Amino acid sequence: MGEAIVITSGKGGVGKTTTSANLGTALALQGKKVCLIDTDIGLRNLDVILGLENRIIYDLVDVIEGRCKVQQALVKDKRFEDGLFLLPAAQTTDKNAINPEQMKNLVTELKRDYDYILIDCPAGIEQGFKNAIAGADRAIVVTTPEISAVRDADRIIGLLEQEDIEPPKLIINRIRRHLMNSGDALDVNDITTHLSIDLLGIILDDENVITSSNKGEPVVMDPANPAAIGYRNIARRILGESVPLMSLTTGKPGFFGKLKSIFVK
Amino acid sequence: MTQLTKQQYVTIKGTKDGLVLRLDDKCAYSDMIAELRKKVDEDGLEGLAEVQVHTGNRYCNEEELREIMNAIHDSPNLRVSKIQSDVITMEESNRKVLENQSETYIGIVRSGQVVQAEGDLVVIGDVNPNGRVVAAGSIYVLGRLKGIAHAGSSGNAKAVIAASWLEATHLIIADKMETMTDELTILSEQPEMECAYLHPNGFIAIDRLQELRILRPGLSSFKGGS
Repeated sequence: MGEAIVITSGKGGVGKTTTSANLGTALALQGKKVCLIDTDIGLRNLDVILGLENRIIYDLVDVIEGRCKVQQALVKDKRFEDGLFLLPAAQTTDKNAINPEQMKNLVTELKRDYDYILIDCPAGIEQGFKNAIAGADRAIVVTTPEISAVRDADRIIGLLEQEDIEPPKLIINRIRRHLMNSGDALDVNDITTHLSIDLLGIILDDENVITSSNKGEPVVMDPANPAAIGYRNIARRILGESVPLMSLTTGKPGFFGKLKSIFVK
Repeated sequence: MTQLTKQQYVTIKGTKDGLVLRLDDKCAYSDMIAELRKKVDEDGLEGLAEVQVHTGNRYCNEEELREIMNAIHDSPNLRVSKIQSDVITMEESNRKVLENQSETYIGIVRSGQVVQAEGDLVVIGDVNPNGRVVAAGSIYVLGRLKGIAHAGSSGNAKAVIAASWLEATHLIIADKMETMTDELTILSEQPEMECAYLHPNGFIAIDRLQELRILRPGLSSFKGGS
């Protein structure tokens, strides 16, 4: 029996879909059987980021409305031997095409065959959000070090706390080291204190996230990339390992930094 | 003979505070009011007398109370100073209990959430921006108040808002609102352990928590101890 995790944020554009794709891939790299569900009906993206767009035949609404079996709609990622599957969203209809009850039944059915079901939630707090959280056992809230994103995360956490799911965990995405170190962006501590939920991990901002998404190859495949390391660490924490939080101070200290490190011991 | 044994439904007593009209609470209402009319009619008073009406364990609705008042006021010599009753309805009783009680909310009031209380409200946790706490009485936050607080929501201007960390975006007491903008002089540099109250000048003022004992001594409901 697997576990269903919804990835949500409230605000759009903070990296829910990128996080879903990368965490799904990272869990598959760890040898888990993962199914990703894109619930952003009408504005689907997860298939593009995973590079599976051309292989979609059926979608989520087809499954819900009984036009096909769920196995027929699942798109297999050939990079992983039976490890990663995607249930794409429909593009021609909208969020009202399905309801939370149907979603719950679908997730329950999938949990029998997969270790992890990652549900990519659309932005907003309306029907799409309600559908996405319906079948989830756990929730991950994604935010960025911006006040607007943190406010929306707070709203979403409030809504999640009223549901029958485990307390949500936080991912802070798109961290720019120099802004955070200089105090020009909210720091990790400010955000976690404000939201009062556990931090699952942080992801550094990196240009390769964009280029690799455009290529349909999640950045997490590159083990040297700093963002990829963040995603891999989070995947390990989801699996129950205890992994220390990534340091935000730059890897290469300058001359004075080295000098300082000699004296400060 | 029957005249003598007849139960008295209305008794008039003179006390040092004036006349007391005791209305029997066992008999039928119609019998009582009929006797009241008769008694008032045949009183031999001169001048104006204040009467207190005691209805005992009889519950009278507003219409009945008005009828009793009118019956007494039929006499030019009698004025009702007050009506006293030993009973209230469950509804009134429940309302009184709610108004006087303090409700406790443990948790974080997040953006978009509203926590409401009929009496005082104690929040143990933070009130985040765009979170709203509303109470007919006072609001006490053990944590950071960074959202919107409305105390005395049904008009109580004596209500206060106190917080371990008072950094609200909006403070409302009774019908007076203050937006906590940077240029506001009442915003102190240190928002720790403060309280907001309605100043006699009509504006919301902020002071140290410790000043409450002088500003609002009436809020204390403490009994016991030594």
